[in-house]
Amino acid sequence: MATVTISKAERSYIQTSLQAKPPLRADGRALLDYRTVLLETGVAPLANGSAKLNIGKTSGEGGGGTEILAATKLEVEDIENGEGVEGGRISCSVTCSPSAYPHISSNALDDLQYDYTTILQQTLSHPTLHPPNLGILPKKRSWLLSLDLVVVSDSGNVFDALFMAARAALWDTKVPRTRPVQYRANPSGRSSGDNMQVDQENDQETTSGFDTRQMAATAADFELPDYWDEGETLGGREKWPVCVTLNILPPVHFLDANVHEEASVPLRLLLAFSFPPNSSANLQAMRLLGPGELDLAQMKSLIAYGQKYAKDLFTALEVKLREEDTRRNVKARTRFAAR
Amino acid sequence: MAQSNFDRRRINGPEESFPPTFEDDEGEPSSLGWRLGQPRQGRAASDIRPIFLKAGLITQANGSAYIETQRSKIACAVYGPRQSKSTVYSENGRLNVEVKFAPFSCTRRKVPIRDAEDRSVAVQIHQALLPSIRLELLPKSTIDIFITIIENDGIDGCIAAGSVAASTALADAGIEMLGLVIACSACTIGKEIWLDPNNDEAQASSGTLIYASMPALGTVTNVSQNGRLTPDEAIRCMEACQERCIDIHAVVAEALLENAQQS
Repeated sequence: MATVTISKAERSYIQTSLQAKPPLRADGRALLDYRTVLLETGVAPLANGSAKLNIGKTSGEGGGGTEILAATKLEVEDIENGEGVEGGRISCSVTCSPSAYPHISSNALDDLQYDYTTILQQTLSHPTLHPPNLGILPKKRSWLLSLDLVVVSDSGNVFDALFMAARAALWDTKVPRTRPVQYRANPSGRSSGDNMQVDQENDQETTSGFDTRQMAATAADFELPDYWDEGETLGGREKWPVCVTLNILPPVHFLDANVHEEASVPLRLLLAFSFPPNSSANLQAMRLLGPGELDLAQMKSLIAYGQKYAKDLFTALEVKLREEDTRRNVKARTRFAAR
Repeated sequence: MAQSNFDRRRINGPEESFPPTFEDDEGEPSSLGWRLGQPRQGRAASDIRPIFLKAGLITQANGSAYIETQRSKIACAVYGPRQSKSTVYSENGRLNVEVKFAPFSCTRRKVPIRDAEDRSVAVQIHQALLPSIRLELLPKSTIDIFITIIENDGIDGCIAAGSVAASTALADAGIEMLGLVIACSACTIGKEIWLDPNNDEAQASSGTLIYASMPALGTVTNVSQNGRLTPDEAIRCMEACQERCIDIHAVVAEALLENAQQS
């Protein structure tokens, strides 16, 4: 999936340096070093959760690096008449900004978007990661969580960045609290306004409250008890996976490749690990990309390495996400109180 | 503007339509009455579905194969090596895999327009075949592989069977390869590993894995895993698939030999 073509001489140069002792990379990093990762959550105020992630931003110029914007939006879906599923569902989509890939045609860009979307959708919407609080009214209404990611610029290692940004946006997502309401028709024929406190924007029922023929016995709709409350955090946030891409150039492997290194490497192994608390690590996705081959023994050792790297990445990301939570909530409140 | 559903080349049906639900279907997860928790129906945990493979069925193509595993049926045609349509010089040949689901292949009708699932299957099969073909011998050429899924019983099984059919078709076309690519799928149900799951078993499992390898060389060409598996389970699945791939290799070799002897 390399989006840059390089000459044989350049490829050979990069491969020889990586296989040298000690291994050399263009920016002087070690084989297992990541570039600087910058993360900010809450960047899209209209979204239910959002994050902006940048890997390898060159300081001073203010540009460069792989930049991903992720945002989640919750919509109400009808289970009986619409596409809703009991318990809610998640839908992911990745868009590649044409400015990130100026050299490739729009068809190839569409294909690239499809590929990124497929791997994210298959991993994050799998039932084993499904959050518990996406339902609203059993058998009637549920939430559709749309996770949209935009690749603003690509400087290598897009998969790791996509998963990290997705995790951050999902961590930041708040689901509005809902309360089921019932319609009760007034027997005298007039509707009584004090029984119904339905928030007009969320009214999905086609039968009018003034219709006295309907005597719905069960909860027919829901309301938001507090319009200004952002809601409770999305459940299952400890389970969202992180991805590491191992670039394999026998006999070495390395992490966080830039675009030229990605084009010189015959095989890449994507591993998405989830580290739920009090439980052993789980593999949530695995993909192999490229024309190279491996044997099974090498696969086993690479999976073990991948788990170690993913754990380090996960721990660092977790620290940063909690720090972001504090910055935006606790510190903001103390700053506001002290002004 | 009417988007997405408006297909000018065909007579469009009504915009919204729902498949009928029959009374005895409700509460019955599959026609065979299998439910999660029961032992596997009809075969052991490490048995794959019996394979019927025949090469050379599509005479118009350079190479072709048809594979059937119980309820999955896939036809594959290979055209090539032929001249690349693009004017950019490429030193190595190009491999182009196109997959099409017949509209009647799944329980819910698939629109004839190309959609995302077609491409994801094509990408997996492309990845499985890419390391095995000697593309460096075919500059400026393209090999086109067209796969039609006539009936789909489990998407992982389809990807695995499609890879096997494509590799057989490539051998039938006489294209030079390093080895035959054989693929097998697996899933975890509870603590057990079941090979070659059909649709019901795959939906009920917690994780699935598709493994493609070249048994002649002992190398892995594609591994694709979805769902939750511990790393140990994933490794055990891969080892089970590797053993099974060696058995399937014998079936493919026999089908190709039979085809060569007949013609």
